[in-house]
Amino acid sequence: MKDGPAPGHRVVVTGIGAVSGWGWGADELWRGLAGGAAAIGVPARFDTRRHRTRLAAEVPPSPNGLAASVPGWRRLSRADRFAVAAAMEACRQAGLEGDDARGFDLGVFFGGSTAGMAECERFFHGLTERRRARISLLVSHPLNAPGDAVARLVGARGPVQSLSSACASGALAIGAALDALRDGDVAMAVAGGADSLCHLTFAGFNSLRIVDAEHCRPFRRQRQGLNLGEGAGVLVLETLEHARRRGARPLAELLGAGASCDAHHMTAPHPQGAGAALALRSALGDAGVAAGDVGFVNAHGTGTPQNDAAEWRAIEQVFGERARRIPVTATKGAVGHLLGSSGAIEAVATVQCLAAGAAHAAPGDGGADEDLGVDLVVGGARPLAPDCVAVSTSFGFGGANAVLVLRGWPR
Amino acid sequence: MSPSSSRPAVVVTGFGAVNAVGCGREPTAAALASGTPAWSEVERPAGYHRRGGGARLAGLAAGHDLSAWVSAGAARRMSLGSKLAVAAARMALADAGIVAGAEVGGKPTAMVFSNAFGPSMITEKILTQIESEGPLAVSPALFTESVANAPAAQVAIVCRALGANVTVTQREAGALIALARAAGEVARGRAGYALVVAVDEVTPLLHAVFDRFGALSRPDAGGEEARPFDRRRNGFILGEGASALVVETAESAAQRGARVLARFLGTASAFDPEAPATGWGSDPAALTPALERLLARAGDVDAVVCGASGSVAGDRLEARVLKAVWGGRPPRGGSGGEARPLPPLLAPKAVLGEFGGAQLAAAVLALGGAPCGRTPGFSEVDPELGVTPWAGGALAPSSLLVSSLATGGAAAWAVLARAAGTFTPSPSPRGRGE
Repeated sequence: MKDGPAPGHRVVVTGIGAVSGWGWGADELWRGLAGGAAAIGVPARFDTRRHRTRLAAEVPPSPNGLAASVPGWRRLSRADRFAVAAAMEACRQAGLEGDDARGFDLGVFFGGSTAGMAECERFFHGLTERRRARISLLVSHPLNAPGDAVARLVGARGPVQSLSSACASGALAIGAALDALRDGDVAMAVAGGADSLCHLTFAGFNSLRIVDAEHCRPFRRQRQGLNLGEGAGVLVLETLEHARRRGARPLAELLGAGASCDAHHMTAPHPQGAGAALALRSALGDAGVAAGDVGFVNAHGTGTPQNDAAEWRAIEQVFGERARRIPVTATKGAVGHLLGSSGAIEAVATVQCLAAGAAHAAPGDGGADEDLGVDLVVGGARPLAPDCVAVSTSFGFGGANAVLVLRGWPR
Repeated sequence: MSPSSSRPAVVVTGFGAVNAVGCGREPTAAALASGTPAWSEVERPAGYHRRGGGARLAGLAAGHDLSAWVSAGAARRMSLGSKLAVAAARMALADAGIVAGAEVGGKPTAMVFSNAFGPSMITEKILTQIESEGPLAVSPALFTESVANAPAAQVAIVCRALGANVTVTQREAGALIALARAAGEVARGRAGYALVVAVDEVTPLLHAVFDRFGALSRPDAGGEEARPFDRRRNGFILGEGASALVVETAESAAQRGARVLARFLGTASAFDPEAPATGWGSDPAALTPALERLLARAGDVDAVVCGASGSVAGDRLEARVLKAVWGGRPPRGGSGGEARPLPPLLAPKAVLGEFGGAQLAAAVLALGGAPCGRTPGFSEVDPELGVTPWAGGALAPSSLLVSSLATGGAAAWAVLARAAGTFTPSPSPRGRGE
């Protein structure tokens, strides 16, 4: 250990929820991750025929009965639905169903980058084609819509914050929840992010030529770019005292969070990973954890040549010689890049790895790019110590960086 | 952020603004002092406005010459929101005596922005490209600027800001949430200073969509005017612009010899889960506990910078919340629970339009001693609300509450106080091209 942790309450994760290309649920996500395959293919609902590349990790149709269990489901955007489904699941696991969760001590902290853009595109298409469009398609267009939908669902009366800082949004939202919990502004928080596939991001990332026409291959030599995904990840966070008081079982401890900015370029990362390293150091300092204590990295790992190389340089700077011996995985290889919510679903995946005592493998064949030296988890899960300290990294457009530090909760 | 006795005091040391009435402190202060808005007619090429007498006006800032703050080359690569943000941020830095790119106290610089809808014009252009030419035609340069955090990223590059870079998108409450986050960044020692920028842009289509939702004041429903708290109010007038504040610890400001514009005394936020996605809730009890706790910590205030904009439901809820809090709190040092008169209610959105930066600008200017003018558009008390916004005259608040209740249910408040000394207008912001 180096510096002491940031003052305030200890914060634990007591519930997780997820919607991903593997399905509607955290169990579905973990089964997919543990299986070592990718939920990436040619989408059925989302038409990619006119785009430069075809693949994405599309969320399958929702399970029977879900729509009926959520008030106002019909009016929710696709991203809203992912958000509320993941939040319901997380609250259920945390034992917060019904009126237990409702109150002034509950906050919602949510990140995302597209919100109701998919529905907005339908609106715009109608306006362009027929000069007529249904205004109701825009109800969930604002970027606060998924977080607000979750807040309505859980009956939150405390702070509700929506953040949109590109691909760092979800992790930044979880970091904001950590601050609020430490300060005593809330006793519980629902934190995460949600995003859905849409033509704007699909065409936009393709225009930058950073989408892999094949399955993405984070940290592999042949990597060509990312695959987009959609879904949501949600954590229920609460102070340790609060969890103990109500008999909730922690799944992991959220030790710290850090944020930084490259201040370098709108889309390209700093080539030496300077901003990413700053966020890593900031998060470790906030957590009161030394670099030598970290036993697992769930990397941002988009699969683009530049990003992965810059991220590796950041990891090397922070962890030094040990960097080559820390297991690194990349959840995006399995569920695609969920953009603003990627940090949220990767936080869920990190908690799952810690709870299972195993880092999931990055899907695909072959080892890591030898030029990088990363100890990529491939070919099967890698065991983790019960009290392993893990970091989950998120680096976004505009140089926005966010890192979370989590520790396994001994079973 | 809850104020903590162990945390350093936080102050505002720089202010910059671009909005419908002009660029900088002086035009903004003059418009607020005289109660004179500067509405423009919005183009309506999309044909999506309400038929007949749909809304026509907005407070537009797109026409201002920003070349003193944003070079022509840089401007070509930026969305309107990014340009407005860079200009306002440069003004705030100059006002604070900070050189863009320099760190304060050897710590990284944080950026905390708010933004309700992101770069809407860029989004519309990309969607138009997809519709008319197909997805292969999408411009990478446009896509880069389409993210909601593009303004924060552009300003970070200008300022070489290596600290946290966060964009809050909580509609009307976003600016105050951003201010709170920025205060937290500097008070926790994570940043030497933080730039808070509330930036929003208006496009013809966005204007039309608000019109279709019935949110805007319009000529066929009693005249198109922003009338905060008025009985005849029939909607708001959209505004665009950017307001920027430099936030740092009082200790840092003292060490730099910086002039303090305002002291940050605390913040609170809350949510009404019964509120609809497209409007406001109706029950003040959902929001009042958080505001009461804030005022109990931060002390009484001499004025309220309201978010009231002329919205029928939004103004109603804000009036109810304020009346519930002032009606139920004992006076300072007292033990009773008797009602007290509401403090003066400022409503700057009547002048600057509905956008996140309006209240930040009005609050800092009022605490600096700038005159607070009448509330244009207000002429008749709504008997249901029973509140009257500020009618102009001498007002020198030593502290004020900024109140913002957002569409969708979120609410945020902040208490700011006057710095020691009197307001001295700063020299005109010095521009610096990139």
